[in-house]
Amino acid sequence: MRTIIMNCEVCQLKELEVEHFEIREVLRCILHTIVFHRALGLVRPKDVDLELFEITYVQCGDVEVEKKIDEKIDHFISWVEKHPNKKSQICLSFYEVKSKQPSWFTNKTERLYWEQWYLNLNVTQHPKSHLGKSHHSKVVIDPGDSGASEERSSRRAAVEASLREVLFQIIKFVNEKKDHVPPISEGVIYFPYEITIPSSSDSAFGMDMIKRMLQTGHPTMLS
Amino acid sequence: MASSHSSTHTEAAKMEQVITEFFYKGVLIILESRSPYVSSRNYSGEQTVSSPSSSSSSSSSVRPRDKWFNLALRECPSALESLDLCRQSNFETVVVDVILEQKPLDWEPVTFSPKRDLVRNLSSKDKNSFCWNFDQEESGSETKSEKIIERWLVQHESRKGRDCSSGSRRSSSNNLSTLYKKSILLLRSLYVTVRLLPAYKIFRDLNSSGQIRAIKLVPRVSSFVEPFTRKEEAEMQRFWFTPVDTSCGRLSLSVLYRSSISDISSESSTPMSPQFIPDYVGSPLADPLRRFPSLPVSHGSPSSLPFSRRHSWSYDHYKASPPLVSFSPSPTHSESRASVSNPSSRCLPPMSLSPHPPETLLAHRKNTNYDEYCPSPNFSASPSPSPSPPIHIPGSHLSKALLRSESAPVNIPAPRLATSPALSCKQNLPPSPPLKVTKAGTSKDNIGPVQTGATIEKLFSFGKEDYRKYSGVKLSSNSSPRISFSRSSSRSLQDDFDDSEFPCPFDVEDDDMTDPGSRPESYDRRGHMSDPHETGLFMNRKSQDAAVGALVRMLKKAPLRQDVSSSINFSEASRPEMWSNSVQEQNQILEAVTVEHATSSSIASSRLVASKTTSDALEELRGYRELKNLLLSEGGRSYTSANYASEAEHSSRGS
Repeated sequence: MRTIIMNCEVCQLKELEVEHFEIREVLRCILHTIVFHRALGLVRPKDVDLELFEITYVQCGDVEVEKKIDEKIDHFISWVEKHPNKKSQICLSFYEVKSKQPSWFTNKTERLYWEQWYLNLNVTQHPKSHLGKSHHSKVVIDPGDSGASEERSSRRAAVEASLREVLFQIIKFVNEKKDHVPPISEGVIYFPYEITIPSSSDSAFGMDMIKRMLQTGHPTMLS
Repeated sequence: MASSHSSTHTEAAKMEQVITEFFYKGVLIILESRSPYVSSRNYSGEQTVSSPSSSSSSSSSVRPRDKWFNLALRECPSALESLDLCRQSNFETVVVDVILEQKPLDWEPVTFSPKRDLVRNLSSKDKNSFCWNFDQEESGSETKSEKIIERWLVQHESRKGRDCSSGSRRSSSNNLSTLYKKSILLLRSLYVTVRLLPAYKIFRDLNSSGQIRAIKLVPRVSSFVEPFTRKEEAEMQRFWFTPVDTSCGRLSLSVLYRSSISDISSESSTPMSPQFIPDYVGSPLADPLRRFPSLPVSHGSPSSLPFSRRHSWSYDHYKASPPLVSFSPSPTHSESRASVSNPSSRCLPPMSLSPHPPETLLAHRKNTNYDEYCPSPNFSASPSPSPSPPIHIPGSHLSKALLRSESAPVNIPAPRLATSPALSCKQNLPPSPPLKVTKAGTSKDNIGPVQTGATIEKLFSFGKEDYRKYSGVKLSSNSSPRISFSRSSSRSLQDDFDDSEFPCPFDVEDDDMTDPGSRPESYDRRGHMSDPHETGLFMNRKSQDAAVGALVRMLKKAPLRQDVSSSINFSEASRPEMWSNSVQEQNQILEAVTVEHATSSSIASSRLVASKTTSDALEELRGYRELKNLLLSEGGRSYTSANYASEAEHSSRGS
């Protein structure tokens, strides 16, 4: 598969410092907001209220999209658990599939990336907040002393403010850059996209999938 | 040519339609996130529920209009109708003001009623339950505060001097598709943005909570509005969406919003309800201990002394001894009628029914609510807002007893107390007169002494008798004393009662002696009660001398009884002395001295705790005694024989 990045608009989102238990909600919020702006087919938007923050984001309502995003988040959380206290980046890329004329040598499709979003996260972990299961990350665990509740709430407010900034960053980017967006195909709800999470090695994406499959026993790891 | 022209025309028409629908969609997105009745949040669950026929074809359940800009939203005829008005202005500008309304206390829930001016037709034709008349009229008061927290501006800025329909067909179609795509993007970002602004939080809270709130978000759509003042605009922030070029202009979206409306909403979101103010000035809760600032009456406000309290102390609980404890009211009560009504409505605690030692009563006075002793619960509905619930609880039996005894001696019809609460409310001492009589009647024996014997209570019943006469004056016509009392000021009324029932001069502090000074007025009011001599006595003395004189007076007039304490004997014995004295200051001193013996023994015999002022008074009396002795020694042979005899008696008794 050839990857061509031409005239690709790139948006580097502001770095967010989040705690482990906040990863899921933050990533869901950001990823769905971006996809909603790029699901230009007929959608019935779905409002989702965050639990940890006073923010309501919008999903395009497509079940597949939601499923894919959740899977990627799970992978990312697993990675974070293995690589704690690291700055990480998630890339959401939109591409066009260009089918190349099949020839002798190349029978693959081309992905023409026309837009890439980089989500920068700095996951700070507390000793007690380390979660074994990623699907438990919904549970809000507030470690630390009870006397640090004020600090926690102020920190939470800072994260919420930063998240709002990121969302407005997305809105502004979507508004300012419209020309590069490909035309809407009939019957297509959303542009094809992919979510790339960091990997421990430079191995291929697929290898990471296999590794995770073996580790977690999840039957469907392929995106 | 014709085809191109028609296609161009078609393109232009389509462009215009896109612009029109853009306006509608934009307004709808704003409205549905600011008004709960238009919001699609309430039925967002329908979207995820996959009905058998709509797994992928969600468009089957989507109305045609919903599909515009590929954003399926619930249709709202009201929003459509409002846009009809905007169509009249050629869709150049549509302003949506999101207003935060604070409802008055009597705000009623929103009722679907005709909109005032923005919607031409009612949505009655639309059976959709989600249809919404924004800017509904409430059935409550019209007075409500409004604050514009957001102002959305949807505009199509025409490019002047350019033919919109010009251009090639291809460019037109390209323009149209580009316009449509960009409009989709713009509306997507609008959809996300409306949920990130501060007003959405208010909307969400109002939408989620089923409570009736005092605040409301009311979007208002109009074609033109009064611009904000510079100051107003400075308080707001602006967010611009990137305009989308059209063939003959551009579509623009912007919003002016208040970033800090949480304080406004939090202030007004508290449901306001009528509240009882339990600690109003003068309430027992405000200063429960101030009702008894000191044992004697502290202020010159015996006028505010609860008449009932005195009665309770004097008649019911102090059968054998005068209450040295003063009926000191809450000082604040004397300031107003309403406040005065509080002490009047508050009676002594029922615990004082039983003969307690004075110290106990003193303690009770300080710590208990007068309300409990009020004979009639109606009085609690006096001008004071105090509900006085304790009135009913402990004092009910007492009130019954009081009522019973009230009716007996002085022919005060008991139902009057109950049936004329209004009257009682008007005056500040409704229960006082009947209570006085009642006190006398509660202990049946006391009724007798009023007429026959003299008891310690008779010392105080001096006031009783005075009152009786007074009340007789008032009640001879069978009129309710309350009526008469209502005519006079509360203060003077209490003066009356204070005077008539003044039990012990030594109860009164110096500053309270001022009231005796005012008493002559009340006495004069009574008319027959006033003794010029005594009046003069009171007026001349503003000290404990006056109290002594008052006691002397009482001793004069109080009938004697055999079953009284020695003080009564003293009074009997001292009477001749008193009577024998001429109207001179020396006579007064003699009276004071003789009374001193009586009172000193009465104090001793009554087991009353000598209060500070009482001891001071005694000392002063002793001083007068010495002065008397001096005077006697110096001259006044006319006194000598009688006084020596009397002194001998006193000394024999006192020792």
